[in-house]
This record gives sequence, structure tokens and C-alpha cells, in this order.
Amino acid sequence: MAEAVLSFQGVQHRHKIPAPRWSKPWAHRLGPGIVDLNLKLYPGSILGLVGPNGAGKTTLLRMMAGILPLQTGTVMERIESEHWTEVEDLRTWVGHMPEQVRWQGRTTVRSILLELGEMRGAPARRIDSLLSLVGLQQRQDEQLDNLSQGMRQRLSIAAALLGSPKVLLLDEPFNGLDPVAAQAFTELIQRLANKGVSIVISSHMVAQLGGLIDRIGLIHRGQLLDEGPLQAVETRLALSGRYTVSGPGEVDLDACLKGIDYERIELMTNEEGWHLTFTGESKDVLQRLLSKDVVLSSWSPVAPNLVEWLCAATGMDVQDISLEVASSALLPMRTLEVGEDE
Amino acid sequence: MSEFKRIRRMAARIRRERLFGVRMNIMLPILLLFLPGMAWGFSDPNIILPGGHQPSTAMEVLFYASLGVVFGATMCAVLLSFDGVSRDRASGMLEVRLAQPMPRNHQATALVLGYLQSILIPVYGLMVLCLVIVRIRMGEWTSLEETLVYFVSTGLILLWYTLFALLASTTAKEQGTAVAFGVGVWFFFTFLWALVTTMVAYASGVAVGEANDPTWVALEGALDLLSPNGVYHHLLETQLPTVDRGVAAWQTWAAAIAWTVLPWWALQRRMDALVP
Repeated sequence: MAEAVLSFQGVQHRHKIPAPRWSKPWAHRLGPGIVDLNLKLYPGSILGLVGPNGAGKTTLLRMMAGILPLQTGTVMERIESEHWTEVEDLRTWVGHMPEQVRWQGRTTVRSILLELGEMRGAPARRIDSLLSLVGLQQRQDEQLDNLSQGMRQRLSIAAALLGSPKVLLLDEPFNGLDPVAAQAFTELIQRLANKGVSIVISSHMVAQLGGLIDRIGLIHRGQLLDEGPLQAVETRLALSGRYTVSGPGEVDLDACLKGIDYERIELMTNEEGWHLTFTGESKDVLQRLLSKDVVLSSWSPVAPNLVEWLCAATGMDVQDISLEVASSALLPMRTLEVGEDE
Repeated sequence: MSEFKRIRRMAARIRRERLFGVRMNIMLPILLLFLPGMAWGFSDPNIILPGGHQPSTAMEVLFYASLGVVFGATMCAVLLSFDGVSRDRASGMLEVRLAQPMPRNHQATALVLGYLQSILIPVYGLMVLCLVIVRIRMGEWTSLEETLVYFVSTGLILLWYTLFALLASTTAKEQGTAVAFGVGVWFFFTFLWALVTTMVAYASGVAVGEANDPTWVALEGALDLLSPNGVYHHLLETQLPTVDRGVAAWQTWAAAIAWTVLPWWALQRRMDALVP
């Protein structure tokens, strides 16, 4: 793993919420936001920022894009030199693709990119290569009003790539994309990561990030609960080593698997057959089932979903988490270690 | 690319977009009616104004015709720029723009210049036409100084209304609020200011509406410094030796500077604190 290029240390931004009083009708109080967050970004890595609605993903991305100011904390960079130096303007390094941009108007694709390029100081010749990269070269003279949702997303990423950013922030980039466009988008992101761009993708759809991200950050109630390489976080949160196996008919699994070191998570049976989810020595389980002539119809490792990630990281159950999402209260949270009780 | 050039280019894009937009097509007939139309009417050699007054110089005609600027051009300035920021906020473009490494105060400056130019260009064009009309109808050109004051003060009042509208646009979360705020400010200073003046005069024990009462004239003159339209007329009156409302030229120019600097400063502050 290459060394980090950008480091956020103790950064915070809490939204100001109107709290009028008789004596001070314009008064505000600090509401939800991002609290005391530490995060490092690595070149060529794709970090999936995962959390439920209202967790603070967009706020964090806006902070990282230099749109929202840091109320506390510092940002250091090691992009241009070997030593860490404090970043004055994050926008120089970062390209940002907001969640939803309704590119509209009679302006053409090329013109809007030229305009944004001028704001960024990007040369005009860069526009052609970007249009080609995102597959909009044939549509460069199209008016924005005539673009489809997929093309708008492509334009958004082209706008984010102006000025050759070292860090690319993508806020819910798969929203509104059909499977074909999503696949093309995924490949584009991978190509950019291969070129050394550090990519951060926020999403509440973990399944869409599967196979794309190599790091994951779990965010909830404005706090980063855990962050690191995917496998490492899975192991830390005891979410790795889960498998599912299924087959037709009725089988006495307890008898079949007697003496095998495994832990049953869930066994479902119905008219069509059985479905077992477990952790433990998958190889032993598989060998035993085959040796007992049990017919299998599927066998696969289980990737955790968002709820499982968050439940594991917070030590809370899904009911509590969903209620917390609705709450604007900010309470300190921490990551629970493996085996630690809540 | 230098920062100045960046600002200029961004302003030029806004100008182009607005100058050739649908809104301008709707507003041009209004401007034509209000600016050259009024210059034509007031330069009629046989015109008798209420009170039996008859404009005798070219500058006097332009002064009366400036009502067209107050009623028409300022409204157009507001209607052109009321969604200068709120439209981008609604479409998500504001977030894209704020993510670019161009200082926000430069972006604000480009916005002001772009929207101001988009109203200033047609208005200045029509003002030149006004000068020609007055020359044809009265056989007299305005002096260089008068022309300069006429153009600069008109530019200033349009700048003030553009600033008000953009300021409203930064505050508004949606288009309706932005247009209500912009048009509301325009309506207040254009139509309701007379009411404010009357109320203050009444409360001060001054006879209301007595054109020959020096106390009323002085009070109205002083209160006009608190209104952009009033300052605009004060600026034009600096070129009318027959008019004296007890306000010195330096006071008028000081008020003009204040009306320029304060909203501009407020807009810069708003832009700095702007959240998409």
C-alpha cells in the first residue's frame, strides 16, 4: 500500500441550526454534522464511505471538497513533496462530484466544461480528453437540457476531473444509473484509481460498492466508526468468514456436521430445501457435506450488508440504528472491538 | 490565467447567457417603452407638466425621463438577476461551482459584473438613443459633464438593484423567495418610499406635500438619501442648477458610495458563508 497523500486530523463541521429566542431572534445552535474525524487517503485506493441516510456522508464529502469550512482540525497533504504540509485550499487537489446535479439550460456540454475549466484554471485541451474519457465526445455540442440521466452523471464526473485532481470525491454516483451505465461507471472509476487517483465514494448501497472498493469507512451520526482495508475491517468487526450453503430436500445438518468447528448463524428450511448461513471452517463443512452425499445447490461467502456493518460497528441493533438516524442528537460513539460486549 | 481574467470571463459568460436569453426578449419592449418613449414624450416642445412646469434644457428632459430608469430598468435588473445564485443552488450547480478553486469573493464579483453588464448594455444603448431623440426634438445636446453624470448614476442605480437581487438570491432557498425579496425591495423603494417620507414628515410636524415649504423639501431631500431611487435623483439633480433640496453634492456622492459598498460587502460576506 502506498503512503497516504492527504490526512484529515480531528476535523469537524457541525451545521448551524436556527434557534431563535426573544432576546436573539437570529441565534443559531450547532446541530448534526461531522465530529472529530480522522481519515487518511491513499493514492490509487477506492474508499467506500458507507452509512445510513443522515449519517453525514455528504457533509464529510463537502468538507473534503473544501466547500464547507473546517470548524476545528487540520488537513495535511503529501502530494507535492515528501513532507506533510498543511493544505491551504483543498479545492486545488480535490475533484468533487455532488450527489445530484441537474445540468440544465441551453448551454452545451463543451461550453459548461470550458466554463468550469476556466474557474479551475484547466487548459481547454483537457476538455477533449475528458469528454473522450467519459464517453461524451459525440455529445459535446448537445444542449444540457437534452442529456439523459446517465449522460448527466458522466458530465458530473467530467466536471470533477477537470484540473486532474489527486483526490476524487463521488457522492452517491450510482443514483439513477441503469445497470449498463453503472457498469461503465465502475470501470471508469477503476481506470482512474489505476492512474493513482485516490477515490472516495459515498453510498448507502453497499452491494453496489462490492468488488469496487478496497477500503471502507463506516460513518454514523457524524462519526467515523471504523475505517481501513475491507478485509481488515471485516475481520475487526467479526463479519468475515461467513458462508451460505443450500440444497434441496430435507437434511439433518446437526447430525451431518457433528464434530465440525462451525457456528450456525441461521438455518432456513422450506418446501424447496434448506439454506444454512454459518461461520467457521468452511472447507471442513463442505467436505463433510459432500462425504455424506448431501446434494448442494449453492455455496458462497456472505458479504455483509449496510445494516450488518453498522450493527457490528456500533454494537446496536437495527431498531436502535434506525431510530438514531431520525434523531439529530449527537452523542459520542466508538468502535467496539471483536468479542467486546456492548 | 490571471484571477482578473478569470473574473472577466465568468462575467462575460453570464452576460452572454442573460443578454440573449428569453427574459431579455420580454424586457426589451418594456425598456424601449420606458426609456426612449419617455425621452420622446418629455422632449415635446409643447409639453406642460403638472404644476405648469415645462422642461427647458436637455438635461431637464433626461431628468424627467429618468423615471423610465426607476420604473423600468431597475425592475428589469431585478428580474434578470433574482435567481443568480438560487437557480444554481436548486440545480446543484452551486456545489459544482463552489468546489472550483476560484475564491468565492471573485465568484461573487463575476456574478455582479455579469448581471450588471447584461442590463447595462441594453440600457446604455437606449440611453444613447434618448440623447439623440432629445437632440432631434430640442435641438440641444447635453454637456459632457451632464452626459457623464447621467450615465454613471444610471449605472450605479442598476448596480444597486442588481446587488439587492443577488443578495436576496443567496439567502433564498428557492426561486419564489428570491423573486419575492427582489421585487419586494424594488416595490418598496419605487412605490412605498413616498409613503415612508410622508409618514416621517407627518410625525415631524412638517406640512406634507407642500412643494414650496422649505422644511418639507429639506426633509424629503434628506430622506431620499436613504433610498437608492432618491440618491439616483439627487445625483441627476447635481446637474440641475434650479433644483436645491438642501443636500450638498458631496453628501449625494457619499450616499452613492455607501449604497454601493454596503450591499457589495454584504454580498461578499454571504458568498463566503454560502452553503449549497
